[in-house]
Amino acid sequence: MSVRREPDRIVLDGACPVEDAETLAALLLAEPGLPVDWTACGRLHTAVVQVLLRLAPPLPGPCGDPFVARWLGSLAKQGTPDGAVD
Amino acid sequence: MNDLVEPFVAEARELIQAATDDLLALEAAPGDGAAVNRVFRGFHTLKGSVGLFDWPPLLAVLHAAEESLSAARAGARAVDPGLIDLCLETLDAVARCTEAIAGSGDLPAGFSGEAARLVARHGGPSAPPEPGPASAPEAGPVPDWATAFAAASGDAAAGLARVAVRYRPRADCFFAGDDPLGLVRRLPGLTALDLAPAEPWPAPDLADVFACNLVVTLLTTDSREAVDEVFRLVRDQATIVTLPAASAAAPSDEPAGEPAAAPRSLRVDAARIDDLAALVGELVVARNGLAHLAARAGEAGAEAGFARALRETDARLGRLAGALHREVGALRLLPLERIFRRFARPVREIARGLGKEVALTTAGGGTGADRAVVEGLFEPLLHVIRNAVDHGIEPAGERRRAGKPEAGRIALTAERRGGTITVSVADDGRGIDPERVRRRARERGLLPPERLAAMDEAALLDLIFAPGFSTAERVGDLSGRGVGLDAVRTALARLGGRVAVETRAGAGTTFRLVLPPTVALSRLLLVEAGGETYGLPIEAVTGIVRVARDRLSALGSGRATILRGRTVPVIGLAARLGLPAGAPAADATLVVLAGGIAVEVERVRGHLDTAVRPPSGLLAALPDVAGTTVLGDGRVLVVLDPSALEEGER
Repeated sequence: MSVRREPDRIVLDGACPVEDAETLAALLLAEPGLPVDWTACGRLHTAVVQVLLRLAPPLPGPCGDPFVARWLGSLAKQGTPDGAVD
Repeated sequence: MNDLVEPFVAEARELIQAATDDLLALEAAPGDGAAVNRVFRGFHTLKGSVGLFDWPPLLAVLHAAEESLSAARAGARAVDPGLIDLCLETLDAVARCTEAIAGSGDLPAGFSGEAARLVARHGGPSAPPEPGPASAPEAGPVPDWATAFAAASGDAAAGLARVAVRYRPRADCFFAGDDPLGLVRRLPGLTALDLAPAEPWPAPDLADVFACNLVVTLLTTDSREAVDEVFRLVRDQATIVTLPAASAAAPSDEPAGEPAAAPRSLRVDAARIDDLAALVGELVVARNGLAHLAARAGEAGAEAGFARALRETDARLGRLAGALHREVGALRLLPLERIFRRFARPVREIARGLGKEVALTTAGGGTGADRAVVEGLFEPLLHVIRNAVDHGIEPAGERRRAGKPEAGRIALTAERRGGTITVSVADDGRGIDPERVRRRARERGLLPPERLAAMDEAALLDLIFAPGFSTAERVGDLSGRGVGLDAVRTALARLGGRVAVETRAGAGTTFRLVLPPTVALSRLLLVEAGGETYGLPIEAVTGIVRVARDRLSALGSGRATILRGRTVPVIGLAARLGLPAGAPAADATLVVLAGGIAVEVERVRGHLDTAVRPPSGLLAALPDVAGTTVLGDGRVLVVLDPSALEEGER
């Protein structure tokens, strides 16, 4: 499983295929504002990126997917705990 | 240049030349129906090639010309000097486009106007061809979004960018298996990327997690061709804009445009490679002459040191000549991948036009074949694939009822077996019903009814390749117009190959296109029969055994023996070739072939590496001959075809 719930955060581990979007969204909708640790993730599918863009969780640390880190690092800046969806 | 464009240009030049020749022949003999057909096919093929790209005006011109010629073919339009002049003018315009495409990758500026005039003179658009994607391929004004995005991205990003893209994936694209950012990842020259919601986000809800609501805007230094290639399958969702060089902030961007790592290549006329290959073949044969001399020097009692030196020199020359032959041979080889990849788009378009879903898979694309064969294979293969989409794969409803997945599958596979390459097109469709073939052949009057009634399944299936079997007169963008499977068989025969079909009712149909063996350096086993020496390709030989004559027993009309517990038919080579057999030795020498038969020879004389030429002249008519080569002492050696020997035995 590439999406994992830990006590204080959600961890994306390894490549995150399209199905992970649903798991990730479900976890974030259940607990808005929970940080997502994407430092160990691999290639993110667009659907997963879309969930991060839409639900804007805090994203501490650099993204493990170099493409996303290079081009979509701004996702991290917009995500603040207050930015979580209500 | 886009690697799809390059083969197109080469092919288009040839087709234009051939169509010009055919038009001139038609002018000389206006009543010649075959000439009208040839000209029509020339334009049809050109249109098929252009249809792989997004050049709507060019496609429209060729479609209009094809309509005119179709009318001429049907007798509805006179083949007069006016038509021939118009067609030649059309070819001139197509030739100009081809050269512009070769230079810039796109149609010449202002071609649309000329195209419209030509279409009108051909009688106006009748069935308009595919409208093409929304984006205008001709350089037009740069849209505001691109200008604004370039400005917002800053000089560093915008300065070198050559292409801007706005890509709005369809909402259901995730379900179709698309990964839109995955396409963007394939642009090495990306300089700016923006990802934004296409519409304001609705209230968060799990239900629409898989609805894509994104718009991707980007700048890249990749060439227009490379960008077009990346977004090829989603052209309806992407707007691609070539940025004018003037907008580049850095004035010296041109030299920096191409990365230094570009592959170094040299274009050489294929005829010169052929000449080179022929010369290397001669060299290999000449070296065999030296081998012969070296052997004689040993036998004639020449000074031992001299004979050994000669043998060593000969061995070195042999290695070098062999390596040279392989290298030159490889120059002539082109991976089949080059044409395999060109089928994805037509399959998608044809399937979409028919409301079907078809997945094309390819395997063995790395298999190399002679350049001329690869290029000549495109058209017949496209035809077979089109046929599979159209007639093989059933509509989704019918597939569901048959318990098959809704999406049909077509597998395009190349494999090398022995010296030959087989390209197969296998669909998982309904199969061909031999009884329907029989009915259709009767309706078309292809053969007398009593002959049809007596035919077995294999013979019936073969009728689908008969001229006049397919006369479907549907007029569409790329679909058949009575250019039937007979054209496939003719094309393969021209290449020196053949085509066959296998089918299973309800399970699918496989077309096998067998390509001619390439002229290659072969290792031959030299055998003697009837006092003559013959060559057998060593790859077809699994063993040589000597058996006592009393272990050969009569089997039917021939003979057989037991080898490793299996019954193996034995054919006497001398008798088979109609030569007088020598006095039988106590033991029989048998060469066992991979096909499971044994050939009795009088003597095995060793082996020889040599370039085998395809049979020509009188030899070509002999059934068991695969080719010839020249021996070291100047004699011609006939090389036998093991598969023909095996077939003859069955």
